[in-house]
Parts: sequence; C-alpha cells; structure tokens
Amino acid sequence: MLMLPEIIVVLTAGVVLCLDLFLTERSRVILAPVTLLGLALGFAALLVTPQTGDLLGGRFGMDPIAWWFKVIFLIAGFVTVILSMDLLDGRAAHRMRGIGFRGEYYTILLSTIVGMMFLISARETITLYVSLETATIPLFVLTAWRRDHVQSGEAGLKYVIIGALASAFILYGLSILYGLTGQTSIVGMSAKLADVPRPAFWLAAAMLMTGVGFKLTIVPFHMWAADVYEGAPAPVTAYLSVASKAAGLAFMFQVFYRIFGSELAGWTPLIAAFAAVTMSLGNLVAIVQDNIKRFMAFSAISQAGYLILGFLGPADNGVPAMLFYMLVYILSNLAVFACIVWYSNETGRERIEEYRGLSLTNPIMALGMMIALFSLAGIPPLSGFVGKFFLFSIAAKAGYNWLVAVAAVNSTISLFYYLRIVRQMYIEPIYEGAGTLPVRYTVAATVGLLSLAVALMGVIPYFYETIHAQTITWLASLIG
Amino acid sequence: MGLLSWIIVIPFLTAMVVVAIPRSQWKAIRWVSAIGTSINLVLTAVLTYRYWQVSAADAVSIKSALFTKLYFVEQFPWFKSLGIQYYVGADGISVAMVILTSIIIFTGSLASWTVETRTKEFYAWLLVLVTGVFGVFLSYDLFLFFMFYELAVLPMYLLIGIWGTGPKEYAAMKLTLMLLVGSAFVLVGFFALYYASGLNTFDLQRLAQVRYPDHFQAWVFPMIFVGFGVIGALYPLHTWSPDGHSSAPTAVSMLHAGVLMKLGGYGALRIGVYLLPEGAKMWGLFFMGLTTINILYGSFGAIMQKDLKYFTAYSSVSHCGFVLFGVAALNLMGLKGAVLQMFSHGIMTGLFFGLIGMVYGRTHTRIIPEMGGLGKVMPWLATAFYIAGLASLGLPGLSGFVAETHVFLGGFFGNPWSNGMIASTLTIIATMSIVVTAVYVLRGLAAVFQGPITDHHFEHLTDATLPERISTGVLLATLIIVGLMPGPFIDLIEGPILPILNRLNESGVLAAVR
Repeated sequence: MLMLPEIIVVLTAGVVLCLDLFLTERSRVILAPVTLLGLALGFAALLVTPQTGDLLGGRFGMDPIAWWFKVIFLIAGFVTVILSMDLLDGRAAHRMRGIGFRGEYYTILLSTIVGMMFLISARETITLYVSLETATIPLFVLTAWRRDHVQSGEAGLKYVIIGALASAFILYGLSILYGLTGQTSIVGMSAKLADVPRPAFWLAAAMLMTGVGFKLTIVPFHMWAADVYEGAPAPVTAYLSVASKAAGLAFMFQVFYRIFGSELAGWTPLIAAFAAVTMSLGNLVAIVQDNIKRFMAFSAISQAGYLILGFLGPADNGVPAMLFYMLVYILSNLAVFACIVWYSNETGRERIEEYRGLSLTNPIMALGMMIALFSLAGIPPLSGFVGKFFLFSIAAKAGYNWLVAVAAVNSTISLFYYLRIVRQMYIEPIYEGAGTLPVRYTVAATVGLLSLAVALMGVIPYFYETIHAQTITWLASLIG
Repeated sequence: MGLLSWIIVIPFLTAMVVVAIPRSQWKAIRWVSAIGTSINLVLTAVLTYRYWQVSAADAVSIKSALFTKLYFVEQFPWFKSLGIQYYVGADGISVAMVILTSIIIFTGSLASWTVETRTKEFYAWLLVLVTGVFGVFLSYDLFLFFMFYELAVLPMYLLIGIWGTGPKEYAAMKLTLMLLVGSAFVLVGFFALYYASGLNTFDLQRLAQVRYPDHFQAWVFPMIFVGFGVIGALYPLHTWSPDGHSSAPTAVSMLHAGVLMKLGGYGALRIGVYLLPEGAKMWGLFFMGLTTINILYGSFGAIMQKDLKYFTAYSSVSHCGFVLFGVAALNLMGLKGAVLQMFSHGIMTGLFFGLIGMVYGRTHTRIIPEMGGLGKVMPWLATAFYIAGLASLGLPGLSGFVAETHVFLGGFFGNPWSNGMIASTLTIIATMSIVVTAVYVLRGLAAVFQGPITDHHFEHLTDATLPERISTGVLLATLIIVGLMPGPFIDLIEGPILPILNRLNESGVLAAVR
C-alpha cells in the first residue's frame, strides 16, 4: 500500500505509451485526459496512504515530509499536463513547430514525476541516486522536445552536460561516504559519520552540496538555468521551475537532515553566505531580463536563495517553513507559467513588453498573474508573504539579522521587477486593434484555482499548522 | 465580529461589491463606494461615542499605568506555532486615527467623482488600500500590523501608475520601492523584538512587558524609527513624497498625504517609543535634529515650487516633520502635539489635495503662474483653499495652531535625557518655518485666486459641485471644530500618551529580559 501512488503513476506511464501505439493521430487527444486521470488516481491513493512505514527492508520509507513532497510533485505534474495539452493537441492559435509525439511526451513526464516520488522516499543511497537520475534524465529529453528548434536543442545539450556534472559530484560524494562508512543505508551511514576522519568527510559533504547546488540553482551553480528555461517549451519550463526545484529541495532534505544530521551544524555561516549571494544575484540579474522565461529563471534563482534560509535554524522550525514555502512557490509559479503558456499559445509572444494591455484583453488572466507575481514578491496577505515571513524569522532566530535585512531588501528589489510585468499588463496601453483574447475553461480554471489557493493559504492557518504539526512528529521520531 | 473588525472589513467588502458590478455601470460604482465609506463614517462615530463612555471610567488609573489600555479587544490565535494572533483593539490614538481615516476616505471617494477611466478598478484598489490603513491603526499584533502596513502601501503603485499624471510610472515605482525598503527595516526590527523577548509572541502588549537590554534598544530603535520614518517623510528619505504626491490622482494624494504618511509617525510612537523607551532616549536628540531639517527644508522647498501639487507636497514634508519632531521630543506636550499634528495635518492636507484636484479639473493646469483671479469665478473653492492655507500656517482658531503649539512647547521644554540647550535651540530654528510657511502659502494663494483673471478661458469656469461641497465642507468643519474646541480631542489622545510617558520615566520597573 505504501508504494501505491508510485505504482499507479508508473502504470499510467505504461498505459499511455501502449495506447499511443494503437491510436490514430486524431484520437491521441485522449492521452492527456488519461494522464490526468492517472495522476488524479495517484493523488487519491496518496491521500489514503499511511504517513509512516517502510518497505523493501527499509529501502523505501514513508513519512509526513515524503508525503508532502509527493503532494507537491503530483500537483506540479498535473498542472503541467493541463498546460501542455493545448500545445500538443494543436489547439494553440500560435502553433509551435516540431512539437508532437504526445504519447512519448506524457510517458516521459510521468517517469520524471515517479523518479521524484521515489527520491524523497529513498532510504538507501543507491536507490537515492537511481531515483535522482530517473527524475533528471527525462527532463533533458523534455527540454529538447522542439526538435527543429536550435535554442531548444542547445538548452537540452547544456542541461545534459551540467546535469551530468552535478550527478557526478553527487555520485562521487556518495561513494566517498560509502567508502568511509561501509554502509549504503542512510541510517547506517548517518550513525557512523561521527567517527569518520574529518578531511574526507568535508570533501564528501562539499561534493554533495555542490551537486545539490546545481539542482537548486544556488549561485554560483546556477548558470544553466536561464538558457535551459528559455530554450525549453513553455510547459516544460513550468515543470522545470517547480518540480526540479522541489526535487532539489527533497534531495537536500535527504542529505542534510538524514545523512549528515547534526554534523553540518557549523555550516550555517556558509549557507547564509550562499543564500545572500543567490538571492541578490538572482534579483539583480532578473531586472535586466527581456524574455519572460529567462526572467522567471532568475526569479526562481532568487527564490531558491530565500528557500535555503530555512537550513539556518533547527529542523523543527526550518522543515515546516521550507515545505510550506515550497508549496506556496510551486502554486504561485505554476499560476504565472499558466499565463505565460497561455499567452504564448495565443499570440506567440514571450517578451515582457509584449504583455502590455493584458488587463484589458483578458482581465481574468491578468489578475491571476498579478496575484501570483505579488505572492512571489511576498506581498501580504498572499501566502508568499507568510512563507517568506516564516523563512526570514528562522534566519532572525539564528541570529542572522544582517541576512534578514538583505533578504527583505531583496524582496523589495524583486517587487521592482515583478512590477515591471504588472506595469505592462495594467498601465501600458493596449496593442492597437487588439481584441479580447479567448481562454479555454481548463486554463482559466487552473489559473483561478491556483491564484485562489495562493491567496487563501496566507490567510487560513490550516495548511501551515498541518505541515508544522506533522513534521514535528516526524522530527520527534527521527531524534527519539 | 466586533465593531473594530467591521471597521476594517467594510472597505474590503465594498471593494468586493465594486468588483462584482459590471464595468458599464461605473456610475453605480461611485455610489456604492460612497455608501460603503459613509457606513464606515457612521461606525467610526459609534466607536468614538462608545470609547468616550467606556474610557471615562479608567481616566484615573491610566495616569500611573505602564501599558496602554485597549478597548473593544478582539483576540484569537491565528498561526499558533509562531504565536501569531488576530488581535485588534483601540486606544485613544487609534480612535483619533480611525476618525481621520474615515473622514479622508469618505471625502476622497466624493472627490473622485470625476474619475471616468477604469472607475471600477480605481475604487476597488482605493478601498483595499483603506482596509490596510484601518488595519494598521487597530492591530496590536506585530505580524498583523506589518501585514496591513504592506497592504496599505502596495495598491499605491497601481493607483498612481494607472490614474496618475505627469511622470507617473517613475513616481509610482519610486514611492513603492522606497516605502518597501522602509518596511524591510521595520521587519528586521520586529523579528529582533520577537526573538529577543523569548516569549514566542508578536502581541504588542506582551512585548511591552519586556525590558530589552540597552545595547539591543540602541540599534533596534533607530531601525524602527527610520523604517517608519521613510513613510513619515523623514529627511533625507522623503524624496518619494513630492514626486509621488504630485503624480497621484486626487483621492490618492489625499489619502496618501492625509493618512498614509501618518502611519510613519504612528508606528514610530506606538512601536518605537512604546516598546523601546531606552532607545528613544538615546536617539531622541538625533532625530530631533533630522526632523528640524525636515521642517525647514520642506518649507523652503515649497517656496520655490511652481506646481500646486509639488507646493503642497513640500509643505507636507515640512508638516510631517512636526509629527516626528514631536515624537522625538519625548515629553507629554511633544507626544500629544505629534498625534494632534497627525490628525490636523491629515485633514488639512486632505483638503489641500482635494481642492487642487477640483481646481485642476476645471483649469487643466496646476502651474501657479498660469493661474490668477480664480477667486472670482469659484468663490467656494477659493475660500476653502484660504482656510486650509491659514490652518497650514498655524492661525489660532484652526487645528494647525493647536498641534504646532504643542509640538513647539514640547520641543522647547526638552526632556531629562538629552541636552536641553540643544533641544531648545533646535526648536527655535524649527519655529522659523512658520514665517516661511506664511510666505509661501499667502504668496501662492494670492497668485492663484487674487488679482485679475489672467486667461479668458477661466471666466466661464464653475464653482464646486454638490459632492465637492460636501467633501470640502466636511473637512473644513473638522478643521474649525478641532481648532476652536480642542479640549475633548486632547483628552482623547492624552489617555494613551500617559503610559508611554510613564514608561520613559520609569522603564527600570519592567521585567528585564535575560
């Protein structure tokens, strides 16, 4: 039962791939609904799955943190499929050439989701590494999905190379740890770490952190993000910006809390420095971006900077704050990307100044996008504000008042560039002769629900309190 | 839901109703918002009356109290694990500020009767902004306070950016960013207060029971004072104000100069001086010095302005200087004067910006030299303008006189913790601004309203319409009533000032933290 959600998603991938063989090009329209159904079933299974327990001799474990991450991955996957289907089914007014192969697309998307779901449940380093690769390699393929498009291919290649480099770092780090402790199980490894000779231990830790840095786009390991985000098809960028970041955080949780435990307590000044550099650089570079996908890449980098503030404090504050922020971040970011994908489908426009007059051509999408952008900027009463408030409070509690000041000023800078888009949508005059832009009910409902969730999660304490209560019990079991 | 929650929620509900009305019915939207804001006005009257009734009983005990007494409290936990609560209450200062806000938004929504582009969004954002302002004045949980504070600042961007005039995008961006940098400082201060107390609460009244160590107060107080000082136009962080106010549409200038700038003085007093008395003692004289520059700089700046809105904005910088000057004086007179000045300047500047909007709507110019003799064709507006101007230069009988006298006396008498000579000297220097104010107000108004009509287009202009008369009439009446009969009003704000003062005098009594 514990693995039921994963099994359902894998089966869906198989079903989609096989169905694809027997369908005509016209009837392949049903592939997207089938994928959505599979993901919904997986989500339903997740709801009834017990939140604790393990399988396969402790190699696969379930706990509240894993549960919440799986929620995040499934939501990200579900929304991505909704965003992809208009483009893949050819309903977009502005056709994108070289995009197709729906069966393969959904199968590959499902396999990266399942890789991520295994990643957070892995309790053994080999499983951990294999699931990490299962999550990442399909992403390379998705990035290069527009086969005849130079930028897409370039993005894919760049992503493969950097991704392989990151994996190499991680694999090397894990091997060193294995060599030092003789264990592959995370619990066994963690128990022996205290006796390990320090220089070798630091080397392994640095390797792992570097690898994670690539996944989370921590400066200076962020260089790949902008090109890959820009080159990938917009729905894939949406998925990359949320799921791959969540997977990076999941991996960081595994490494930071489970393997190293309290061994890295002295690393907080380093994490603080990385956080400060990441948020500042991400923000400053985002100001000058022109293409909205590149822009969102730098916005995502700066968000990662805020996110790792959670590692500064003790786990019982940090884990719920980071999980909550991740949830808020994916909802806000997906809402923004839903608008980006829709706008690019309708008009083919992807530059920031091309968003002018959106509030008049389609007020609902503009409002949804503005709410999501304000949430990313941390404006109350939206959930982004609450999430940032919790993260900043962890830094303040750990005594990093200067970092709180840096982060708060960065929030203001980020507001500056998020307002650039709002300005185009609301203040700048409309394109001449532009009529209203139609929006399909699926996309409108997605944006509506996401922005509603973004607004409500900041006001209704239930979500944060639930995450907090559940992760506290997890931490108690981990310590006790 | 209690009275205070209703006061906060009603503008928001009105905004939601406005959103639900179809775009084509923009005339109905104006009525809806006028009705919504009048409900608020009525509720405020009820609040004031009931406050008078209940607070009379505590008039004696408050004299020696160390904590301000709150009435109509509504308190329930919100984010439990961080000790965040929904905590609203009111003391005399809050009540005074709520009265101010209700009056300004009521008159402001009448003064915006002429907004015809995207009316729906305009009123919706305006009302959301007011929700934030009411929230700030009534909340006693720092998290809630901060949340409302940011909510009050942000809609400004769109309000100025979309409906403004002149270099509106630049002004909107400058204003928003400067104010939010200020709030970043405030946030750091709040976190420091939260964690240093070790109480796991953002409850202002519980944090007030803590005596923070002196070295802690020494850096947190300026952080909070400067953070709030940005929105209170503290020199040299006031530069957003002239640009922002002159680009903003009428109602937004009224609300911003009238109410939002008061959030700065209110926060500095309520959170800075109340929670950190030792820090206030250390930094009082320094901030008196800065605000003296404010007062003089603003009034000299106003002399040189050709644009009526810039003119009033610089005069606002000068007058808001009085607020922070009074706070920094740290004695009964000064603190009372600060709150009085917040109220008086709020009404006065609201009137100014309202009138400028009305004149501009007729002449289509705000440049002073281009106008002249307008008093002949619009006697109502001219008279109102003159009364506002006289209040601004501190003529006895109008509210400005009461407030400024308090502030100057407070500054002159000084306090036991800082050099009295310097404080008195600064006050004398600051007092000179009154003369300067008289110069620019009288010269400016004479140029606009007196003399022959300079342009034949002006001959056919009309005087104020009914909504405009109601709007200006309410503001004028407030100015005169408070000016002639300040007694009840001073009693209203003295109650909550006394505990703040007691804390300054005997802050050793509080329980020391760690």
